[in-house]
Amino acid sequence: MSIARMKKLSVIGLVSHREALMEKLMALGAVEITDQEEKLGDDRWKQMVKRDADERTVSEYEGRIAKVSQALDVIDKYGTQKKPLLHTRKPITFPDFKKALEDERSIEEKVGLINSLSARLAELSGAINKTETLKMSLEPWREYDIPLEEQGTKTTDLFLCVAPASADVNLFMKGLEDKVPASLIRLVASDAEQHYFYILSAKTERSFIDEIFRECGFSKIQFSDLSGTVKENIEALEKKSDELAEEKLGIEDTIRSHEVDKQSLELFYDKLIIHRDRADIRQNLLVTESAFSFDGWFPARAESRVSSLLSEMGCYFEIEDPAKGEDTPVLLLNGSFSTAFEAITRLYALPDSRAIDATPYFSLSYAVFFGMMLGDGAYGIIMAVITGLILKKYKLEGMKYRMVKLFFYCGISTAFFGALFGGWFGDIVTVAGKTFFNVDITVPPIWFNPLDDPMKLLIFCFIIGGIHIFIGMGLSAWLSIKDGRPLDAVFDVGLWYLLLIGATLLLIGVIPDVAKWMAIIGAVGILLTAGRNKKGIGKIIGGLGSLYGITGYLSDVLSYSRLLALGLASSVIASVVNTMGSFGGSGIKGVVLMTFAFVVGHTYNFAINGLGSFVHSCRLQYVEFFGKFYESGGEAFQPFGENTKYVDILREEN
Amino acid sequence: MNYLLFENVLFNGIFLAMAGAAMAALAGIGSAIGIGIAGQAAAGVISEDPKKFGQTLILQALPGTQGIYGLLIAFLIMTKISLLGGDGPLEISMAQGAYIFASAVPVGLVGIFSGIAQGKSSAASIMLISKRPEELAKGMVYPAMVETYAVLALLISFLMLNGVQV
Repeated sequence: MSIARMKKLSVIGLVSHREALMEKLMALGAVEITDQEEKLGDDRWKQMVKRDADERTVSEYEGRIAKVSQALDVIDKYGTQKKPLLHTRKPITFPDFKKALEDERSIEEKVGLINSLSARLAELSGAINKTETLKMSLEPWREYDIPLEEQGTKTTDLFLCVAPASADVNLFMKGLEDKVPASLIRLVASDAEQHYFYILSAKTERSFIDEIFRECGFSKIQFSDLSGTVKENIEALEKKSDELAEEKLGIEDTIRSHEVDKQSLELFYDKLIIHRDRADIRQNLLVTESAFSFDGWFPARAESRVSSLLSEMGCYFEIEDPAKGEDTPVLLLNGSFSTAFEAITRLYALPDSRAIDATPYFSLSYAVFFGMMLGDGAYGIIMAVITGLILKKYKLEGMKYRMVKLFFYCGISTAFFGALFGGWFGDIVTVAGKTFFNVDITVPPIWFNPLDDPMKLLIFCFIIGGIHIFIGMGLSAWLSIKDGRPLDAVFDVGLWYLLLIGATLLLIGVIPDVAKWMAIIGAVGILLTAGRNKKGIGKIIGGLGSLYGITGYLSDVLSYSRLLALGLASSVIASVVNTMGSFGGSGIKGVVLMTFAFVVGHTYNFAINGLGSFVHSCRLQYVEFFGKFYESGGEAFQPFGENTKYVDILREEN
Repeated sequence: MNYLLFENVLFNGIFLAMAGAAMAALAGIGSAIGIGIAGQAAAGVISEDPKKFGQTLILQALPGTQGIYGLLIAFLIMTKISLLGGDGPLEISMAQGAYIFASAVPVGLVGIFSGIAQGKSSAASIMLISKRPEELAKGMVYPAMVETYAVLALLISFLMLNGVQV
């Protein structure tokens, strides 16, 4: 289990078989084809081979993919189909997949049609906006009944003008008529921002008028490309806007009618992705006139399938084990239970290919920590049922699958600890019994209620923490032994075991004579050996410094007290909610209040403490456990395969 | 007159216990400021990419726990002196009231400062996921490191309060 063993592959084949081989390798999905940059830097290789890149085909596919993806977005936007809660890939057999895509040309035409419809929609939205804006600007002039093209007569000017709402209109109107007798000014309308006027004046007075405008901050406005009265214009614009909106609705309907094609578009999208990837992988191949070569990795357990495929295609190939200490891609393989907890390992970082995968060693403790912190039977059952149903109904893959399964196990664990500690929605049974039926009932805990004896649970937490840390140290020792450094295991872990166990036994007063000597031997041993890799005075200081690290172990163990504290938090908050709900008494008002407090309060408590339990379980693993032995930094194994988005292509195993 | 006031009100056991509940609830100050700080960062990230709303909300919620821990201790104090029942509070001595008050100090005081510190750390994590949304888990661990001390304070307050006999 844990990290899959990898084998190294080098292949040489004929260019004429290249396409067929790539297609089969992709369907197999078990080989990672590595980049050949290094070989191309080598002069001897450079003389013989060149990179087999085909960027033009790749970018051509990219362009087509972008168009299909755009069309799918448009369908999603205007379509009526509900989006499923979780995105899953639909299984489809390879013959069905091929058959569905027989009429590729018509699918591509549909993509073009949908995209042009969507472009037209954008145009229409723009036109509607423009019409509405023009209509808005005409609206204040509704009462002005002179056709807009009229700009005056031979001897008079006619303007439209606006003034800020703050200006004193009457004063201005009177002033204008006094100063320029040959003029007529009328207020058309006023709103919160502006006053709207028209002015008729003799042409000879034009310069006077301009001056007054400047002084008072008035401005002329023109609707130069309009003719007819304002009312007529507004009506025409309304009509135009209605027509545009109608066309828009029509186009949206047409797009909706293409919703039936969504599935074939999705298949087409996936097909393009497959072809793009097949063209793209060629940049990792080296070619001569008639032969190609590539290197790669594959998991050891796929060896028979890989080698039979390569011999079938008439390739020359070599399979080697990686050299000792060579960095290989990392693929995690775990059993059905631990797979879920890979999510937590991945969220941290993949292990180094030469180190170990921590997943199987912390899976159980993660579930236990989560369960103790959330610690409510009802919450646990709800979690387990919901995630269980999701797992049953949807065929999830990858990280989503792991997370849902993780919460399924955590739900079971939460229900288990809830039953042990007697928490079912906090103390809802007791509170409801007392409030509504005036009886004293409690759900007895199977073990004990932490509120009654918190010290007992605190010590239990420390014991769990101690075991957890010891497992981490044990793994570190095991790694040293595996690496051929057994002495390191004895000095760095064995002595600490002695010291820590001895000190703990002394503290609780069990077999103090033996414990004393265990602690002394451990401490002296650490003092003498911890500085062994240092020079000179460092040998002594190193020992002291390392021994001082005992405070680190102390704080590590104390850190597990959060299991108690967060467990208390979720159970006490739940009872706060229940108590608040009981304030309404036993009447109908009381029932309403209780229901409301129950639904809102417990949802909130579940959400916030669920989040807390997740984060703090992670922290205990990442800081207290991983810190002891885990080495991260591996690159994920990325096999060359069908990275489709919508369908999972099934092939008959032969 | 003044002597009576001190004796009957300020150094009255129930008053001291209630002051303790109030002290514990002050942890909410830290959470409020912390969530505020994280919210500012979150809003900035959302202005660039509204799809990250869910992720930023999770990180913003993290400094909220101090307030909850404060509420928890305040509630336990009120239950302890039967303030919430219909029969009125228990008669407790001045010393008992003072013990209860002391037990509320850790969660209240640590809650204020750790809430603010955790808010800053959450804000930094929100900036982190704006660039690397896949690193949400790591972004959640940093604020959780700060929260440890609020959890420890909660534990101490709880154990102290649990030890007071009324």
